[in-house]
Amino acid sequence: MNHILLDLKASLKTFARNKSTIFWTLAFPSVLILIFGAIFSQSTIRNDLYIQNQDLVDGEATYWSDQLISILNETDTFNIKMVDVSINATDYALENRLDSLLIIPQGFNESTNLAIVTHSDSSINMTLVYDQSSSSSAIVQSIVFGIVERMNFEFSQGQYFLSVDSVPIAPQRFSFIDFFMPGVIGMTAMTTSIFTSVSISSRFKETGVFHKLATTPLKRYEWILSRTIFNILVSYLGMVVMLLIGVVVFNMTITVDAVSLVMVAMASLLFSGIGMIIARFVKDPDGADAAANVVTFPMMFLSGTFFELSQMPQFLQTIAKVLPLTYVSEGLRAAMIFGQADQALFNTALVSVMGVVSIIVGSWITKWEDD
Amino acid sequence: MSSDLAISVENLTKRYGDLTAVNGISFNVNRGEIFAFLGPNGAGKTTTVEILVGLRKPTSGGAEVLGFDIAKDRKEIKKRIGVLPQSFNTYDRLTVKENVEYFAGMFDSSPDVDGLIKLVDLEDKKKAQFRNLSGGLKQRLGIAVALVNDPEVVFLDEPTSGLDPKARHGVWRLIENLHDEGKTVFLTTHYMEEAEALADRVGIIHNGKIVALDEKDKLIAEHGKKNLLVLRKADPKAVSVIDKLGLKANYDEGEGDVSINLNHAVAVSDIMQALSSARVSFSELQLKRSSLEDVFLNLTGEELGKEEPA
Repeated sequence: MNHILLDLKASLKTFARNKSTIFWTLAFPSVLILIFGAIFSQSTIRNDLYIQNQDLVDGEATYWSDQLISILNETDTFNIKMVDVSINATDYALENRLDSLLIIPQGFNESTNLAIVTHSDSSINMTLVYDQSSSSSAIVQSIVFGIVERMNFEFSQGQYFLSVDSVPIAPQRFSFIDFFMPGVIGMTAMTTSIFTSVSISSRFKETGVFHKLATTPLKRYEWILSRTIFNILVSYLGMVVMLLIGVVVFNMTITVDAVSLVMVAMASLLFSGIGMIIARFVKDPDGADAAANVVTFPMMFLSGTFFELSQMPQFLQTIAKVLPLTYVSEGLRAAMIFGQADQALFNTALVSVMGVVSIIVGSWITKWEDD
Repeated sequence: MSSDLAISVENLTKRYGDLTAVNGISFNVNRGEIFAFLGPNGAGKTTTVEILVGLRKPTSGGAEVLGFDIAKDRKEIKKRIGVLPQSFNTYDRLTVKENVEYFAGMFDSSPDVDGLIKLVDLEDKKKAQFRNLSGGLKQRLGIAVALVNDPEVVFLDEPTSGLDPKARHGVWRLIENLHDEGKTVFLTTHYMEEAEALADRVGIIHNGKIVALDEKDKLIAEHGKKNLLVLRKADPKAVSVIDKLGLKANYDEGEGDVSINLNHAVAVSDIMQALSSARVSFSELQLKRSSLEDVFLNLTGEELGKEEPA
């Protein structure tokens, strides 16, 4: 333990004395937040329309329910995503923070046929579950109401056989900055940990410091533990700075609970391990930075840091699912902004498992001695 | 292993694929001596040191350091040795004092940090960060760091490589101090003058093999050229005078010098007396001693390289 504290103290002193490292460690995410926050703080980010079609026969959509979905699709205003009929639609909308979810009820086809034939006002109600805080849900609502109005006019000659019940769900408005902030905190944990690990490992290898350390009683695991704690502390420092910007500049309401703190620590553990793995395969410090960039840049843009995954093409969403930063961002967002304890815990547990595996592999392949 | 021995190496071999870096070498280092491993770059010096201090595993053969097996007792060896790796580096934003304290902490030892800094003459640089030190000062700090655990054996791998002559002589003084304190010093160098100036015994290594190992004077006597007495701008009749003493002499017409091959049978004073009696004139007298450079050339057919440190 004494060795770990000694090395940690040395690392912290080194960090504190390197003003440019401190600046760039904190400046990059801060500038990102300030710029993106200033541009997008008023805009919302969701414009999907989810539909649950309960009017099925043998698992197939009935004629008129299918027609309605086609009409909505042809408006070319939003992405239509189908929700399985077995799911409780309202709960699903709440859990997944959906802007708009339209439920087409059972009997929709039959009522429409009846209205066409008899022009009666035999009513059937669709339900539109929507986030009233989202401007895009208002657009969806107006389009859905317009289509319903038209169907009433065309099919039953103005008799109101079809109506829409609107069910608001979201008590709180989430803006881009709410979405963005946890993502940048996760991203900072990633860049700090990967770049620091890769840089220090390749530099110590190149300059022979590892050889010198290997001739002392300091054990390799003690050094790795010290470096990981250092990365966690620097990630926390980045987190504090970004939260201050969020609260002071953007008046955000953010929850920092134990889960989010554990998530940042586990993310640092995970990315420290990944950094060590990268460092094992680079030959010199110059190549180390390039290799770290190759790993961090795609993750930065494909893991839902800047854009919600659902807005990306399907193949990129598939890629995102194998990128560890995705789970860090999702977990932090769930814990800090949306208050979804289950999702936060699940993602934190997942990142913790990945973190332990990566640090074990990283430690195992980091060599101080030569063959 | 005898208790008089600090290091005992037996048939040590290290191969990297087809390359044999160290080829079945055996030697001993006595306690309290300065032992120099002399050879050109790539001869196998650093590989040998790195095997002895536990940074590399030998392909075959073995060694003991202070009676401990390098394969089994690395932990015990680490506690008792100090190592200055080639081109010492450390936490570059820690100060001289902080670096000494850091490594002392790693050995769980409490040395007199200020005393160590004084020993390597870095008192006025105590608060300077490592990155701001010159090459010579960095090596001096490296030596201080190598002494934090009061080691019995100190391994110095090319301690003056790349240093200017002044810095090099500063490091030499430190090494002599270690010797005076009774520590065993294992030194590798490709500077012939360094081995001559410091070592009690010298092992000459070439292409992974030890080609000679002995006290440096014995090596020179056995494998070096004869010592020469040179009479500058001399009367050529000196050659016949020297012949009569049973020594060999050559006259260089171009320079006008007469070179006399010395041996133990005839004292220099007898030569001078004979020259004086024969009234042989000369402008200057020079003694050219054979060196380890000559020994190396004689044994390997190659020059060790007289590159001056940068």
